[in-house]
Amino acid sequence: MLPPFALLVLFVLYPTFVTFRQSLFAARGRQEEFVGFEQFRSLGVNPVFWQALGNTVLLAVCFLAVILPLSVVLASMLNRVRRGGTPLKVIYFLPQLTSAVAVAIIFNYVFQPDWGLLNGALRALGVEDPPLWLSDPRHGPFGSRGAVTILAVWTGLGYFILIVLAGLQSISPEIYEAAAIDGAGPLRIWWSITLPNLRPTFVFLLITGTLDAMARFSDLWTLGGPGGAPARSLQTIVMYMYQTAFESGNVNRAAAVGVIFFLLMLGITLISYRGFLSREFRRSR
Amino acid sequence: MIPETPLLGTAVARRRPLRQRRGWRGSQRGTERATQIFLLVVLGVGAIGTLTPFAWMVATSLSRSANDAMPRIPSFWPSDPSLFNYEVAVSDIPILVYYTNSVIVVVASTLGYLFFSALTGYAFAKGSFPGRGALFLCFLATLLIPFETRMIPLYLLMRDIRLLDSLPALIVPFLVGGFGTFLMRQNISTIPDDYIDAARIDGAGEFRIFWRIILPLCKAPLAALAIVNILWRWNDVLWPLMVTSDRANYTVTLGLALAGRASGIQVGVALATATLAILPVVFAYIVLQRHIIRGITMGGLKG
Repeated sequence: MLPPFALLVLFVLYPTFVTFRQSLFAARGRQEEFVGFEQFRSLGVNPVFWQALGNTVLLAVCFLAVILPLSVVLASMLNRVRRGGTPLKVIYFLPQLTSAVAVAIIFNYVFQPDWGLLNGALRALGVEDPPLWLSDPRHGPFGSRGAVTILAVWTGLGYFILIVLAGLQSISPEIYEAAAIDGAGPLRIWWSITLPNLRPTFVFLLITGTLDAMARFSDLWTLGGPGGAPARSLQTIVMYMYQTAFESGNVNRAAAVGVIFFLLMLGITLISYRGFLSREFRRSR
Repeated sequence: MIPETPLLGTAVARRRPLRQRRGWRGSQRGTERATQIFLLVVLGVGAIGTLTPFAWMVATSLSRSANDAMPRIPSFWPSDPSLFNYEVAVSDIPILVYYTNSVIVVVASTLGYLFFSALTGYAFAKGSFPGRGALFLCFLATLLIPFETRMIPLYLLMRDIRLLDSLPALIVPFLVGGFGTFLMRQNISTIPDDYIDAARIDGAGEFRIFWRIILPLCKAPLAALAIVNILWRWNDVLWPLMVTSDRANYTVTLGLALAGRASGIQVGVALATATLAILPVVFAYIVLQRHIIRGITMGGLKG
């Protein structure tokens, strides 16, 4: 028991403690000086930090708002087909296995405004003036943020479908039989039986999907470097932390960002678990 | 809720005469066929959408002229098929070195992670030692600590113990984790104590019991854990980016990212590199897809 626990202390607990400690200090020459919550206060008035935090949250919300409904619809359809389900599942899951870096390299060209795959397809469909995608830092579905949301949905869809499928298959068939005999149409059954019974699946995907999206780094770094080009429109909080520590060399400020990140993730986990558990209790009562 | 359902079902079924129900189902057959076709068409369009970027990547990577000028209308068949881009990619970046590094890192960290997860899981599930509850809580609590929060002190630690820019730096921080311990404890708890007692009566030591009885009974969760961990380590770029600076220590993913960022203008070469990085993963996936999909469904995606 001792060796694994020693590894845990050395590589997990100790560095976490150091992050918390460093966040309360500031570098003065070669010395460290205790400054209390000064790092957090200066982050609070730092527009770059706020933009990174805002980007992270916005990208996470957009990602989940698109991928959850889409994966539920596609998984329900996949669950209903008699033949061809397995190869389709295999295909949908393929992008997930490809590293986020490779996906980013491919999509950097897919979104190229002049000759990219997407705009080529749009032109073939008769769109006169297709969007600029990754070159356009403005907010909106056809700017850089919209593009990376499409990229994330394309990558993650297979995983979400797999989890929803597992949830669908755990719903007791008797409930469906009862409803069918009752004369409910397929859409009605889907709406009143399938969706409510998928709630635990939704909660699971919401928690894991949010935590994952909040920690987004690899693909956006490959596309726009640690600054999240263009115009910091793609800089997430982890990218900001990396840039602060390794390009600006401000380890203490990066530690403060790390603490804020930890509290955010903890808050998301606790809130979603509490919401989930309290609802379960109300139900069983 | 569950015992209620069959009762409800039979009560409703009695209301409708049997023959009428059959007729209703028979007329449904044509509609059912149309539904199936409709579903397959929609799902097929989605699948084509998933595969198209890959097809375009391969086609473009085989075209030498893609580096100078790309066709305005995307083409899925190179006008001048050649392996030129692949030759440039292989001579520009030591992709074989990257592959060797990635394989070493992934195999070593995954084997260690599986071993320690099973060992700690076994100790927490079946062992009795002072402070078991508190220690388990320690392991669980680490699930709440994101890697990003501790990565900078971890980097400084690696620097202090002189592991920076070496393959062990990519392995040792990932040998123990709360998730693996938790998953293995849950699974080992379900193994009846009788098995362990019987082995103990036969004179087997603790480690022998662990190796010969516990591990073989945990193949499914271990496989799930392995798949998740392999994907996680193979695709990671943030940590290798932080701790390696010599090309001799790059992993495939990091090498690809840096090459992709550097050769932003040479479209053909960049996509050839991406193809080389993806290809082995895709082959492994086609061979192992059933296990991979089962493992992902069981273990979640992230460790």
